[in-house]
This record gives sequence, C-alpha cells and structure tokens, in this order.
Amino acid sequence: MALGGFSFSAQKVAGYGVAAIAGVLVLYPVYFLLEAAFDVGDTQVRPPTAFGVDNFSALLQYPQIMLNTLTVSVAATVMALVFGFVMAWILARTNVPGRRLFEQLMAVPYYLTPLLGALAWSLLGQPESGFINGIWRALGAQSHLIDINTSYGIAWVMALFEGSVAFVMIAALMKSMDPALEEASQVIGASRIRTIMRITLPLVAPGVLGAAIFVFAEMLGSFAVALVLGLPSRYYVITTAIYQMIQQYPPKIQVAAAMGVSLFAVMFVTLYVYRRVVMSGSYVTITGKAFRPRLVDVGRLRYLLLGICVLYLLASVVLPLGTLFFASLQKIAVVFPTAENFTLDNFRMAITMNAVRSALSNSLLLAFGTATIGVVLMGLLAWLIYRGRLPGSGLIEYIVMFPQAVPRLVFAFGLMWAWLIFPIPIYGTLWLLLIAYLTVFLPLGVRTIAGVMLQIDKSLEECAQMCGASWAFRVRTVTIPLLRPGLVAAWLLLFIASVRELGASILLMGPHSKVITPSIVESWFGTSSELTATLALIQTLVVALAIVMLVAVTRRISAQPLD
Amino acid sequence: MAKLMQGKLTRREVLKAGTAVTALPFLGLAAPSVLAQGVSKSPSRVLDFMTNADVAKAEQEGQLVFYCHENEAGTAGIMEGFSKDFPKIKTSYVRAQTGALYNKILSERSAGRFDVDVIQLSDLAPAFDFQKKGGYEHYVSPESSAYKKEHLSAPNGYFFWTGVDPAGIAYNSEKIAVSDAPKGWKDILDNRWKGRISCKISSSGLQFVQWYMLRKIYGDGFWKEFAKLQPHAFDSRVQLFDRLSKGDDMITAIGEYPAYILFKSRGAKVEFVAPPDGLVATPLVVGAVNKAPHPEASKLFVDWAMSKRGQAWYQSNPNLYYASVRPDAPAMPTGVKLSDFKLLYPSDWNEYASQSAIFLKEWNGMLGL
Repeated sequence: MALGGFSFSAQKVAGYGVAAIAGVLVLYPVYFLLEAAFDVGDTQVRPPTAFGVDNFSALLQYPQIMLNTLTVSVAATVMALVFGFVMAWILARTNVPGRRLFEQLMAVPYYLTPLLGALAWSLLGQPESGFINGIWRALGAQSHLIDINTSYGIAWVMALFEGSVAFVMIAALMKSMDPALEEASQVIGASRIRTIMRITLPLVAPGVLGAAIFVFAEMLGSFAVALVLGLPSRYYVITTAIYQMIQQYPPKIQVAAAMGVSLFAVMFVTLYVYRRVVMSGSYVTITGKAFRPRLVDVGRLRYLLLGICVLYLLASVVLPLGTLFFASLQKIAVVFPTAENFTLDNFRMAITMNAVRSALSNSLLLAFGTATIGVVLMGLLAWLIYRGRLPGSGLIEYIVMFPQAVPRLVFAFGLMWAWLIFPIPIYGTLWLLLIAYLTVFLPLGVRTIAGVMLQIDKSLEECAQMCGASWAFRVRTVTIPLLRPGLVAAWLLLFIASVRELGASILLMGPHSKVITPSIVESWFGTSSELTATLALIQTLVVALAIVMLVAVTRRISAQPLD
Repeated sequence: MAKLMQGKLTRREVLKAGTAVTALPFLGLAAPSVLAQGVSKSPSRVLDFMTNADVAKAEQEGQLVFYCHENEAGTAGIMEGFSKDFPKIKTSYVRAQTGALYNKILSERSAGRFDVDVIQLSDLAPAFDFQKKGGYEHYVSPESSAYKKEHLSAPNGYFFWTGVDPAGIAYNSEKIAVSDAPKGWKDILDNRWKGRISCKISSSGLQFVQWYMLRKIYGDGFWKEFAKLQPHAFDSRVQLFDRLSKGDDMITAIGEYPAYILFKSRGAKVEFVAPPDGLVATPLVVGAVNKAPHPEASKLFVDWAMSKRGQAWYQSNPNLYYASVRPDAPAMPTGVKLSDFKLLYPSDWNEYASQSAIFLKEWNGMLGL
C-alpha cells in the first residue's frame, strides 16, 4: 500500500509537472496574442493602451480570403488523407514489392519542405513558363496543360508536401494493428475491400480523425505554398493575408492577431468532435494477447499498388527534385535551355554563403534538441491526457492543441512578446527557437503518440499495477515498450518538422540564431529561383544524410524485442 | 519637411524640431545622446574616409549588429563590404521588410532590449517616426558634409540617404517588340497587359512613392484604370524580374533599375524604359541606433556607409546596385550616375507620409486583400 501511495504521488507529480510546463509554454504566449487581438490603441505602443473588439469586426472585410482558405484547406486535407491512408495501407499492411524502400521514401516530401515543393511545382506548372506546359506546347498545343496557380493546384502541392504527415500518423497506427481481426473477416468470407471498409477503417478511425484534424489545421496555417503559388494568381489565404498585414508599414499586427485568434474557435469545434468520437468507442487493438504483425497477401494486385506508390513518389519526390536540380544548373531556368544558359555558379555561390552554412548547422542542432526533449515531454502529456485519469486532463488537451489553431506566423508574435520580457535573456538565441519549436509542435507530437496510445489496452498497465509495480516502473516496462513505434515516429516527425519550420522562425531568429528554411525563403525573395533551388537541394542532401543516420539508430532501438 | 531638407527652415519647424529633441525621450532613450552630440574630438582619417569613431575601440567592441530591410543577399553584401575594410569587427544582421523590422525593433526597445547598432529602412515614414521617438543616436558624421541637406535627416545626424532605388518600366523583349513597348507611365494602362503585368505589394516603400507621384501627376483615376488590368503583386524586385525574364509577365509597372542591371547581366531578355516624366524613386536610409551595444562600431559603420568608398560598394554590389546621392560618387556599373536620370519623388515627405492609410487601403483592395 505504501508502494501504491508512492506510485500515486509520483504519477501526480509527474503529471501536473508536465502539464504545468505545457501550460506555461502555451498559455504564456497566448496571453500576449489575446492581448494584441483586443488591442485597439496605438498599434506601435506596447503594452496596449486601449481594448475593444474592433479588430474582430475588421475581419468581416475579408470574406473572400476566409472562403479561399476554407476551399484550399478542405481540398488539401481530403487529398492528403486519401494519399496518406492509401499509401499507409499499401506499405504497412500489404506485401507490395520494395515496401521498405518506399516507406523510407515517403518521408522525403515531408522534409523537402512545402516551400521547395511549391518552388518545384511552380517551375513545372506555371501556365506560361512551366516545364510541363513548355513540353506540352512543344508537342503542338496552343494553350497550357496545367495551371498550378489555381486553388486546386495549391491544394495539390499542399497535400503532397504538408499532408505526408497523415501517412506517418496512419502508418504508425496500422503497424500496431493485430492482423488477426482482418484475417478473421476474410476467413468468414468478406472481400478485401469489405474488410478494409468494415475492419481496417473503423479500427484506425480515431487515428485518421486525429490526423484529419491535425492536417486540416496544418493546411489552415500553411504559408509557403500559398505564398509561392497563390500570389501570382492573386489568390490570398489567411496566412498570406496575415503576412501582408505584418510586412506593411504601419503593420496591422492586431488585426492579424485577431485573425489568428478567431481560428481558435474552428479548432475547438474540431477537437470537440474528435474527443466525442474517441470517447464513444473502443479502438483498442493491442491487448494482452500476443500477436505477430503479418502482411496481407494481395496477390497480383500488388503490382497495381506498386504503380500507385511509384506515381505518388514521382509527383512528390522525383519530379520536384529533378526539376530543382535542372533549374539549379541554369542561369535562368527554362525547359529547353541553350548551352550558354548552363552554369555551376549557383552551386559555387551556395557553398560559399556563410549564413547558409551556419543556418543549416543551427537547424540540425535545434531539430535534434526539439525531437529528443519533445518526445519525452509530449509522450508524458499524451499519457497524462489519455491514460493519467487525473482531473483536468481534458482541459490540458485543449491547451496543448492551441498552437495548432493559430498560424505560426501569428503565434510567433505571442512568443516574441512573451519571451522578450522574460527575465532570463533567451531572446534572440537558439534557446528561444527551441522553446518556440517545443511549443508549436506540441500538437504534432502529442497527436502522433496519442494515436498509438489509444490502441493500447489499459488492462496491460492495470495488470502491472495489480502486481505491485510503481507508476514509473509501469511506464518504463509496459507503456514505453508498447509505444515504441509511436515514439520513434514522433521523434522523426519532430526532427523533420523542426528543420522545415518557417512561420515562427522568420520572426524569432536573431542575428546569431539563423535557421535554414527562412534563409531559403529569403533567397527566393531576394536572389533567384535558380539559387534557391540549389540551396534547397543542398538542404535536402544534408538533412537526408542526417535522417539516414538517425533512422539507422532508431531502427536499432525499434528492433529490440518487447519485454 | 521638404523645406527643412532644402535648408529653408521656418520658425515653426525649428520649434518643432526643438520640441522633439527635448521632449520626454521615447523609453528614456534620446536625451543623453542628443546632448552629447556624439562629437567629442576632431575627426580622424581611416582608410580614405573621415570618422569621429574611435576605431581601436570599435575593433575592441568587435561586433556590429545591423537591422536591414534589404533582402538576405543584399544585407549580407553590405556587411561583406564593411567586414572587408574592418575584418576585426564581426558583423551580424537581421533582415525583414521595413514594417516587420520596425515593429520588431520597437517591441524589443519597449521591453528594454537594445541589441541593434545600425538600422537601414526603405521608407522615410518609419524613419521620421523612429527619430521622433528618440530611437536614433544623434551622430553627425564628418562625411555628411559631402551630402546635400535634402539627403540628410533634419536636423543632421539621425539618418541619411545611403542610396536611391529608381524605377521605370521593364518589359520582356521576347514578348514585346520595341515598337510596341511602353514609352511613358500612361502606357502601362494599355489593356494589352491585362493579367500579364506586375507591381509590388503594399509593404514596398517604392510602390507607395509610385502610387503617390503618379496619382499626383495623372489624377485619382490612374490607379483605378491600373486595377482593371488585374496586376500580379510581389514582394521583391527579384521576383518581378524573375517572372518577367521567363515570360510569365509581359511588363512590370515598377521595374527597378538595380534589378534590371542584375538580370540583364544574367542574359535575361528584359529591357528598361525611363519614362519622360521621370523615374519614381525612394530613398534607403541608414542611421545609428541609440543605446547601441557597440556604439563606436555603429558610428564607424555610418561613416563608412556615407563615404565615397562605402557608396561605391553599395553602387557596385550586384545584390544592391543602389544609386548614390553623393555628388562625387562614381558611376554605376552601367556607366550611368543617378544625376543622369530625372527622378520623381515627393517634395513634401510629411504630406506623403500622411497618405499612408489611403495607399494601404487602395492598394490592398486592388490586390484583393
């Protein structure tokens, strides 16, 4: 009993300790954001001199922007979920040839960054100068074949490069699923499609829903793709409108904050729906009963599935990277260059840029720190919310999801104001970026780990408790080993997300704490698309090398047998 | 303000300036340095320019933190020029568009953080505001004697025009024959360019000047006609010329001369038109910031930037190509000097600044924002 008493205390202390950290990380900057949203005084004076709701009333002036945002976000989310689910099922559940290789390649569009995807597809799909349209015209056509500057073009690129997180989240779920349930369905005569619809889909439903909410929020806050592809067609979404508002003089930061804060409402509704779905059903697939993950033999269908994988990776990896490489070798990127248009100057210039070198090493360092600290913090938070049975866990979930609801471009202002006045001088240093990343990626990490955690039967932990195991011992010997695939996926996701982070970093970078993605955006603004393509390729290469090494390490960890 | 710049001070303006100087300093910043005037000894020569800074002390400080509106490559270029001459001073910078940059520095200062030595802005309106708030260090550079009064702050010592960014019309010469090319500003309203013409977004100081000047010359209807062409708007001159050189746009209504030189040197099929009414132009202003962490380095930088040497660097760096207002500055790489162009910029900068809200509303509205 004494042991049980101690266990309860340790659980409580750890739970509330972690919740307090998350609360400070999120609510502290949110306070400043709310303050700005209601600030109706002099826009250049801080702290605010007057409060009101004028900034929210001003939002009524932007109905077209709201509609554009909704159109693009919904279209991109649907595409991303379809791609994510299909690819996750093919690669995690079937015997498609080369699935291990494809699974690794699936992470590539995610770390290529949306900016690079947008840049590559911009080179490919501009109505006039796009490579695809150039070839199309060379074949005799009078008009263009594709126009990437439309709402569906933007959604397509967003789904390819922002939505690949859906694959990672859904695949992690599918890997943890006992195939006996699907086999039982087929044994009693159900077809493969019926099995997918009646067994697979419902079992992964909370994870898919979680991924849907997460991806939708990502799309709402997506910036780089809409910036590169939307501006040429005067197609503005919330983030690009906010960007304009904060760049101009005098900046409309208060209206931008109100725009960001108003997205809280959208997020709360979706989160409420998610919780209702999760709480109303049982989605446990990992129980005390042992199972060995087995693949579904899809027969000759596997070659068709292989074709789908190849097409997907062609559109999201090969074509964009090939395009960027082709562009990087030219002075002015065109589809049919003359001999004198070829140059290696872009590579020469990129390699000699000191700022890029230091930005790249800062990014890798930050990514490693964010992923490592983040997995511990977010793993504990996920456990606290879904397993802790502590009072207020629902509230903590809402708090954790806050950063997802606001475009990072806006949330960064809250972070800046919050940590600017903090007594410990971290402003302008890498520490601030680390705190910012841990804050803005809380939803990503918690959602990823929670998706797997929901599949673990509570009875396993309860069994250990009945045997007298303390809380810490239970977490170490039961929960963490079972969560291992989810934790590894979360670590990699956080690592990649940190390297590609743009919205918050743009504002929070100091003179000595530059990171790579904003530097590439700067290059796109200020140098040329050819040099930007070169920088993107170099970034991709370096990050790829880092990830290959990290995957090797994490695979070793994952390969250790469950206790 | 124009009168001030031309040296025709009225009594009211002198009083206003005096009030600004002695007013309760913004965040307690201004008064001590204003009184000090920053001139405690006779200027010394370093390299080939004059400075009031203590160079040994500046090198001992060892650092210079620069906030700049210019793009990454341009900002790095400015720092590279200074570092070449003063390798013992390590440079670092933050760059952002003027609006965001100015907001950042105000937020930092309101929180009691003073990390910046020098700031460069692309619009006079925030520079005036910063001066009014006591954000600039008052430092009269010995090099300022080479400048006309209209290119210096009033009173002298807060900021100066480190260059001018002139813009005309640029077009893709593969898409448009010389005979069909626009010749003057009114030609950009031709319906032929509908959906194939570009301009800059409202954060651009130069775009503000163009809007202000052409509205003054051609009336309110000019930009309403322009809006019917559904122009594409972008952040930077590089983006405008990138699209122009690839044929995505046929013409740009705000073709910056520095970008034209850059793209021409890369072999782009673009041509530049200087309308007879003149090139619209905006100053890029530099000033030392008060309570700077490296005060001697910041003074040294201002002197260097004002000097013939610094101006030559600004004019010849491919990512800058600023046109110098310094009368004895060398020609630009194309062999032309700023004085070869007829320029259009506001004669009354205060009146211009007062139009900011109208410009933002009209311009953003035209772009669907």
